[in-house]
Amino acid sequence: MGYVITEACIGELDGSCVDVCPVDCIYEGLEKRYINANECIDCGACLTACPVDAIQAPGADQDPIWIEDNRAFFALPLPTRDEPLGDPGGATGIGPLGVDTPLVAERAANR
Amino acid sequence: MADVDLLIIGAGPAGLFATYYAGMRGLRVALVDSLDHLGGQVAALYPEKHVYDVAGFPAVRGRDLVAGLTRQALGADPQIVLGEECSSLEDRPDGSIRVRTTAGTAFDCGAVLITAGIGRFTPRALPAVDAYRGDGIHRLVRVAEEYAEHDVVIVGGGDSAVDWANMLAETARSVTIVHRRAGFTAHEASVAQLHASRARVVMESELAEVHGRDAIERVVIRHAKTGDAHEVPASVVIPALGHIASLGPLADWGLTIVGRQIAVGTDMSTGRARVFAAGDITDYPGKVRLMAVGFGEAATAVNNIAAMLRPGEDVFPGHSSELARPLVAGAGV
Repeated sequence: MGYVITEACIGELDGSCVDVCPVDCIYEGLEKRYINANECIDCGACLTACPVDAIQAPGADQDPIWIEDNRAFFALPLPTRDEPLGDPGGATGIGPLGVDTPLVAERAANR
Repeated sequence: MADVDLLIIGAGPAGLFATYYAGMRGLRVALVDSLDHLGGQVAALYPEKHVYDVAGFPAVRGRDLVAGLTRQALGADPQIVLGEECSSLEDRPDGSIRVRTTAGTAFDCGAVLITAGIGRFTPRALPAVDAYRGDGIHRLVRVAEEYAEHDVVIVGGGDSAVDWANMLAETARSVTIVHRRAGFTAHEASVAQLHASRARVVMESELAEVHGRDAIERVVIRHAKTGDAHEVPASVVIPALGHIASLGPLADWGLTIVGRQIAVGTDMSTGRARVFAAGDITDYPGKVRLMAVGFGEAATAVNNIAAMLRPGEDVFPGHSSELARPLVAGAGV
């Protein structure tokens, strides 16, 4: 479960979602942000804050590609890292990761 | 020093319902929350949203559910402590547990039930404010009249920030509201009122520096895009950037923490003697994190606690319909 951030976020990085997230579970890559589903409490605050409608609520309408991509950002080692990010328990202490998932990097390069 | 049978930490839906059950079991109960209000997340994050999956309520507004839970809980005649965070938990020689709050309140209790949901809320970091050590940072806004001689700078763009700017615009010597983004996220009507008020609105800018030794003398505001900085006279800064939840001190109480949750058994015991947990904060195989489940866990926890505190008493409380007296004033009418 959890909310997911889709392609519309690439290159946007507005960050309004981060301002309203009560559990600090939205992490910054290089060109896009990602929601940690294990830390997300499904409150929905980010949904209306996003200026480009990039966020999808849990449910049948969620795009499986972006569910998997948000999951992969935390569960798989990112291209410049040896270990998966996991569930750090808050994005503020970590700061921007400076790297995206391979899918996002590819789509960002082709924009 | 407060002596209670049961201390409940967290006054959200699970904690309020657990308080009711403590009363039904005849336990002396205290309820503590780090927020300054009852109702936890529901009251803080979505008081106006409707909830559709609470048994018996096809649709109920968050604040109405909290009002009903509060009325039900007050039947237990609980000691309620708000705005204090439980910071330490220790076993006492007589077998009881002592819990202290950050404000210095101590509870000696027979058992502790943690219904702390996603944890305690702390203000979002604002580096310029965090680096300043003197007076003049107001995280809680006082009555408007107290600001008559003050130049107030409010940081933030949500409902709290805009509401406080509107409240102080007429009474404070000056009000400046600084927001990092191009638009406010507060209600439209509040934003319209703000723009019509005396308040100075500075958009796409950050509070970069707070100057002064014991009291604030001035602040520096920097444009987020151009980097241009300018000074603003200020004697009070109100950070209104909202809050972030985290487990806080209870993560160090010797409980088994899984992610952001506490592992519990089928009786909601934590593995540490006399310490139980219920609601969103618990974890076990198959856990579903919903209020509906939290209510059941609260009843399971309190009834097991009652039987533990009073050997010989049954875990099953009897049916509430058979109670000699209803716990809620006016119930059954």
